[in-house]
Amino acid sequence: MGFTEINHKVVAADVAPGREVLARRGAMLAYTGAVGFAPVHAGQGGLGGMAGRMMSGEQVPMMVAQGTGTVYYGHRGLHVTVVELDGSGPLTVEADRLVAHDAHLQSAVVFLGSQGGLRGAVRGAVSGQGLFTTQLHGVGAAAVLSHGGTIALDVRPGVTTTVDPQAFVAHVGQVTADISLNASWRDAVGRGSGEAVQLKLTGHGTVFVQASEQKI
Amino acid sequence: MQPFRLHGTRILEVDLRGGSVRAATGSMIAYDGDVTFKNAGMGGGDGLRAALKRRATGESIALMQCSGTGVVRFAKDAMEVLLVELAGDTLRAESERLLALSDGLSTDVAFAGLRGASSGQGLFTTTVSGHGVAALLSAGGPPIALEVSPQYPLVVDPDAFIASQGQLNQTFVTDVSWRTLVGEGSGEAFSLRFDGKGVVYIQPEER
Repeated sequence: MGFTEINHKVVAADVAPGREVLARRGAMLAYTGAVGFAPVHAGQGGLGGMAGRMMSGEQVPMMVAQGTGTVYYGHRGLHVTVVELDGSGPLTVEADRLVAHDAHLQSAVVFLGSQGGLRGAVRGAVSGQGLFTTQLHGVGAAAVLSHGGTIALDVRPGVTTTVDPQAFVAHVGQVTADISLNASWRDAVGRGSGEAVQLKLTGHGTVFVQASEQKI
Repeated sequence: MQPFRLHGTRILEVDLRGGSVRAATGSMIAYDGDVTFKNAGMGGGDGLRAALKRRATGESIALMQCSGTGVVRFAKDAMEVLLVELAGDTLRAESERLLALSDGLSTDVAFAGLRGASSGQGLFTTTVSGHGVAALLSAGGPPIALEVSPQYPLVVDPDAFIASQGQLNQTFVTDVSWRTLVGEGSGEAFSLRFDGKGVVYIQPEER
């Protein structure tokens, strides 16, 4: 598909008519060919999606690259991982970690509460990931930011993969994320292990984890 | 003993098969299987004597005990991970540069000489001894191992120092002149000198 990793921190996207690329505004580093950039306001998802974005604060200004050529993207020296979507499941990622994606992917803001009821809402509140996250649907590719690079861990039925919410970057496929609280009296008195809140992932897909506990 | 292995250069993977491993508090990023995390206690799990020494010296260390069955991955602030094998010898390390310790290693506090007073790293340093593998962290890029032999003593910047291993004598070198006092120094007034035989690990970033 359209994205090539130039090095760990720069990704190149091929742009052609009908193959536009949406990217975080200001993330363009360089381009070759005849490419124009235009701001995108509401994003996709129609009026509902726009309202969702405005309410949720899950909003990063985006721009679209049109024309013919190659565009190089990068952001603040952070590592970039290209995630391929084969259409079998959505990519769930925090909006500020998304640096670029194929414009034909459908993006939507999802309220975590609708995923797992109250637990989803608690997950958002506790993990500091916000109550809303961005989901991309369709077949294509997306470039995701991380601090220190990512590793891909398989999530398969029968095995529970557990992730530190601060190190969580994105997950793709038919994956359900659930918050698990392991807090005990030790945490209350400041003698916890620092791993009281964990994200349990079940289903079938891949989760991307960064080598750091820093936010973008 | 648990097999320690690296996933890339920044992530440490440990296979737990019913055993336990100690790691820096909060450094777990992901795990499979059934693993529990518990604070290793005041002294990092090395008994009351070590705990009291740590409290008195301020060379604090926050470790958690991870036990169970599964694969656990550890990482911290995207720093590079360095594995050091210990076969009964002693490793002197900065406590904040310790990522994980395998079973069979114990930590203690040792007097590091006067070097700490001005380098801001405390007068005391953490020692790790026993049989096993220790995972250390290097900020700013891959760590460098420098060999010290009796003919070739080594001088390093205290801010770049991670750990030292072997029969080494550590001394503090000052090069303070009137220039330093008037603010025109070279910025390298304090250094650490190692004599003897061993290995010193440094990182490509100054704290």
